[in-house]
Amino acid sequence: MTDRTIVESGSMGRVAYARIAPNEDLVHAVEKLCLAEGFRNAFVRGALGSLVDACLETAGGGVRQVQGPAVEIVSLAGEVRAQPDGSLRASLSGVVADTEGKVYGGPFVAGANPICMTFEVTLEEWLPAQMDTATAA
Amino acid sequence: MRQAETPNRARPRLLIHPGRFNPVRINSLGAPTARHVRLSLAPGCTLYEAIVKPLAGIGIRNASLTILGGAFDVLSYCVAPPDPSGQAVIAYTAPIDAGTAYMVFGNATLGRSLKGEPLVHCHATLRTAAGELRGGHILTEDCVIGPQPISALVTSLEGFNLQQAYDPETNIPLLQPRKEQADD
Repeated sequence: MTDRTIVESGSMGRVAYARIAPNEDLVHAVEKLCLAEGFRNAFVRGALGSLVDACLETAGGGVRQVQGPAVEIVSLAGEVRAQPDGSLRASLSGVVADTEGKVYGGPFVAGANPICMTFEVTLEEWLPAQMDTATAA
Repeated sequence: MRQAETPNRARPRLLIHPGRFNPVRINSLGAPTARHVRLSLAPGCTLYEAIVKPLAGIGIRNASLTILGGAFDVLSYCVAPPDPSGQAVIAYTAPIDAGTAYMVFGNATLGRSLKGEPLVHCHATLRTAAGELRGGHILTEDCVIGPQPISALVTSLEGFNLQQAYDPETNIPLLQPRKEQADD
């Protein structure tokens, strides 16, 4: 999708908090949380927890794996966006710390970041102004 | 080396926890709107006090916080390697003193402990006194805010509680969302 919208007006809607259980994938779990709560678009408002191992995308299109357990998620920002085909896609970027406290950062690769003990996340629904009309799901 | 760059990623591995698998993997609760507060974490206070006391004063007991960067007089954290006892898959290390350090960015959850007291669960990226970047689980009751206030965005969660409860699967107490009870 080529999204040429530079400024998207909108407002914040509902809020949801989840505890996500071990071995669930970080990125997919955030998407599933939106399915559970009926959010089409959302921003991450708070997130912390741990991963078994972390898998971050690198500049060359490869991945960097950080070995745990546990790899702590120490900073995370992200959003979920509805796709033209109706699916949802979470884009999560952050910093993780290994078992010695050393840090690594980048985008989290979907399907490759299993949660270790717990992941706590707060999502706030984003309601784009144009979705108040015909395109609202 | 605890990292490796590979063209093809390895298959993600799953861990076997000591307790019975709970089929509910996403435990969530929602509210129609969130209330937001900009909080100044007060110099000289512990991080725990600087979060808990002012929020209690305005009736906020459950919240997610984004802690913006700021200097600490004392910053203490720990990390989570495998638990040698096998009681859980990981266990926190002894406190690691980062000294007079800078918190680059952090997230925190405010809820209630097993004993019913305020609980702050915080993870952050930090720069140690020696200038090294580190990250981990922040020991909020041991950390002391530096000379300048530190800003935090609070997203208050209302209509439900974040309650620490024993989790049989992982065999540790964890924060869980719970509907408000009459006696809460």
